[in-house]
Formats: sequence, C-alpha cells, structure tokens
Amino acid sequence: MATTFDRSDPATPGLAVRIEGLGVTFPGGTQAISDFTLGVEPGSFTAIIGPNGCGKSTLLRVLAGLLPPTKGRVRLGDAGMEPHAGDGRVGLAFQQPRLVPWLSTLDNVVLPLSLDRVAAAERGARGREALERVGLSGSAERRPRELSGGMQQRAALARALISDPPLLLLDEPFSALDALTREGFDLELQRLWLDRPRTVILVTHSVGEAIALADRIVTMTARPGRVARLVAVDLPRPRRIELLGERRGAEIEAEVRRALAEVHPPELSPWVAS
Amino acid sequence: MGGIVSRIGAALLSFAVFGAFWKLVTVVGGYPDYILPAPEVVAERGLRAIVSGILWQHTAVTLVEIVLGFAVGAVAAIATGVALGKSLLIERVLSPYIVAAQAVPILALAPLLDIWFGGGLLARVLICALIVFFPIAIATMVGIRSTDPLLAEMLRSLGATPRQLTTRLEIPSALPVIFGGLRVGVTLAVIGAVVAEWAGASSGLGVLINIANQGLFDTPLMFVALTTLAVIGLAFYGLVVLVERRLITH
Repeated sequence: MATTFDRSDPATPGLAVRIEGLGVTFPGGTQAISDFTLGVEPGSFTAIIGPNGCGKSTLLRVLAGLLPPTKGRVRLGDAGMEPHAGDGRVGLAFQQPRLVPWLSTLDNVVLPLSLDRVAAAERGARGREALERVGLSGSAERRPRELSGGMQQRAALARALISDPPLLLLDEPFSALDALTREGFDLELQRLWLDRPRTVILVTHSVGEAIALADRIVTMTARPGRVARLVAVDLPRPRRIELLGERRGAEIEAEVRRALAEVHPPELSPWVAS
Repeated sequence: MGGIVSRIGAALLSFAVFGAFWKLVTVVGGYPDYILPAPEVVAERGLRAIVSGILWQHTAVTLVEIVLGFAVGAVAAIATGVALGKSLLIERVLSPYIVAAQAVPILALAPLLDIWFGGGLLARVLICALIVFFPIAIATMVGIRSTDPLLAEMLRSLGATPRQLTTRLEIPSALPVIFGGLRVGVTLAVIGAVVAEWAGASSGLGVLINIANQGLFDTPLMFVALTTLAVIGLAFYGLVVLVERRLITH
C-alpha cells in the first residue's frame, strides 16, 4: 500500500496525475506555484500540506481545469489529457460547501447531472443513492440553510462524487468543522474511499488528518509553492484516530513536522510547536 | 388566518381615518366641490360613473396599456440588465444612453413618440415601457453583478456553459433585486399610461382626468379617475409581491 519515492516521478507510466514543472503566475505578477513536479498513482490517496498561501488551492484549481498553467504540463489519466472542467474525470470539493441556496439538498447533489442533462428519473435515483452514502437520506428535500455545517459539507462531498469521477480533489473540506466532527468525517472519508478506491488528492492543514488518510504526504514550500518533501505513510488500513498516539504514527508525524520545519522558519511555523 | 384578518382590519382602519380627515378638511375649509369635493360627493360621482359605464370604458383602455407597457418594458429591461451585468463593455457603451433617456422628461418626449409611432396603442405602450425600463434594468444589472463568485466557480468546475451560468445561477440569485425593480416599475407603468394618454389619446383614465378637469370642471369625476388609478397601482403592486413570494423561496 505504501508509495515509494521513486514512483512519484512523473515519467513513470500509468499514472493518474502527472504534473511536470508546473508554474502559475497570477495577472498581478504574484507567483503562486513554481516548478512543481509530482506523479500520482491511480487509486492512491495523497495529502498535500503546507502553510497558508503556498499555492495548495491554486494547484487543485489547475488540476480541476479552472485555471490554466502558466508554465509546465499537467496530464490526467492514462490518455494523458489536459484538465478540462466538467468533463466528469474530476470531482472537486471546496473549503466551503458552496451549495446553491434555493435548491434542495437533492437538487444540489445532482447538479452536475442536471448540467449534463441527465434524465430526471436517473438523476433522482443516483442522487438518493449518493445521499445515502454520506448519511443524508433524510434531508433530500431540505434547503442548505436548514442543514448544519457538517451536513452541508457531506452534501458537497456527495455532489463531488455523484459522477463517480476517477480523481477526487478535496480542498480542506472539513476545515470549518470543529475538531471532533472533523475526526468523524476523516473516518467516514476513509470508509468511502475503502468502499470504492479512487485517486484522491487532499489539501489539508492538519498533520493528523494527513496521516490518518493518506498513503503519502507531500509537504510544500512557502510561496511560490514547490514540493518540499514526500513522506510515505506505511500504516495498515482501516486506520483509527488513535494511531497518532502509537509508535509508528508518532514517528511519521515527527518526520512530517521536521519536513515542514525545514522549509518554514520556526518562528513562523505552527508545526514545530510542542 | 388571524394575520390576514388583522391586516385587513388595519387597512380598513387606515382607510377610515384617511376619509375622516378628508371630510374634516372640507368641512372646516368649506371649499366648493370644484376645489376639493367631500368624500361622499366623490363616492356618489364614482357610482354614477360606474353605472353609466364611462368609468369602465376608460379603465379598460388604461389597463391594457399598463399591462402591455409593463410586460414589454420589464422583458426588455431584464434582458438588457443581464447583458449590462455580464459585460463591462456593454455597460460602458449603453449606460450613457440609458441614463440620458431616463434623465430626459418623458412628458416632453411623449408627444414626439406619439407622432413617430403612429399615435395608436403601440405608441402608448412604448411610452409606458420606456418609463418602466430604467429601474428594472438597473436592478437586474446590480443583481447579476452581486452573484456569489464562489458559487460561479463551483458551477464552472462542473462544466456549466455560460448560458447555464446565467440561467441556473445569475438570474435566480438576482431575483430578489430584480423584484425590487419590478415593484418600482409596476407603479411607474400606471404613470406611464397616463402620460402616454395625455400625449394623444381619445380614451383612458388620463383622458378622463383631462375631460373632467379642463373640460367640465367636474373635479369629483377627476378624483374618481385618480382613485381608480391608485387602486390599479396598488393591485398590480400586490400582484408583483405575490409572484415574488411564490418564486423566491430561499
């Protein structure tokens, strides 16, 4: 299960995502990402961790086809196609749930299908199935404002998964939730992924979340973001939240924190404390 | 249910207080009917106008003008407002003309429009639509501009086409603001119809006002026409609010 370092080489054949020398510069001249190179194996779970403003979200927007690269190449899947928003190969869940306020929870979840003009009967069936998978069966007809923050984020996750995309991008989807709820979500996300493995790239601020979920942790430098270190998480699954307290979990955590401290001055780094 | 009863009660009470105050002014002032008729004089004149059929004859004409003028003006304004909201270039090119057209007194322009467009119903509908246009177009533009950019990005990530972005997100999210414009617009449609009739028409409540006021010195009849216009304005405003409540559920 563990991913080795050499398999991160984007030249490796059969990768789900290959990013070569990616650079993103915004119109104002701000360089968000520079010379970012990474290969991602199909069916693997990658966590990307780094300080605020290091270009993590920008990276996901490039992968989702929302932002064109300024430099370098990004290729998805065996066919090596460029990212293209809405082609069904990528599911994206944002930091905020971003539900449409006037649509019911079910209509929000099936929004990708209705944009694709999938017939109403099929939409309804698939939508209810997706709601069941994230535990929202009872809330299909409710409006987003009637849902708690956690339920809204579940609905957003169901929407990202409704087209069954081979690649799932998660941009700190649980960051607005309280710590306990968040741990529960991490376990649920692991269950969803184990039920139906697909390539996942998760952007997170939490070392614990990254270790609980990922095969491999990518640490990023401060802006402009590059890959700083790759840390393999060779822990058996299904993982439990307590694993950070155990020996191997603690070793990996220390390794990740050291990697982060290398690229961030200790006085600015939240990761070296304690 | 109690809510509706108390609201009707409040309206009736306010109506009674208004009538009593009106009556008080005529009694204290002792004005002749052609300056300020008493409420019961107006009511009696209104009854006669209804019985003779003259009131309905003029009201029907004005109603058609209001409905058509409002419909034409609102549809054109919403379409223009969407374009203005979506394209900065279109806004820069068009907005000087739109603002200028709004600043020019329609009262001065109406006789010309009446000549240009043949002096019939078409001319009157256009004058009415012109008055209605501005508040709805501006409201639509502002509403479209205030679309949540995070939701727009979410829809783009799902591959929404520009047209889907407009119909699925921008217009629905602008609806509360658009309805603000429609509420203003529908009351202006009443004024528009009267102004259009003054520019050249042989029937309508505007014409009735002119006949009563300048031809016959029948001030009570003029008050009947004004009251009818006020009731029409209230009814259409209420209708817009009703549609708004039906449509906007979030």
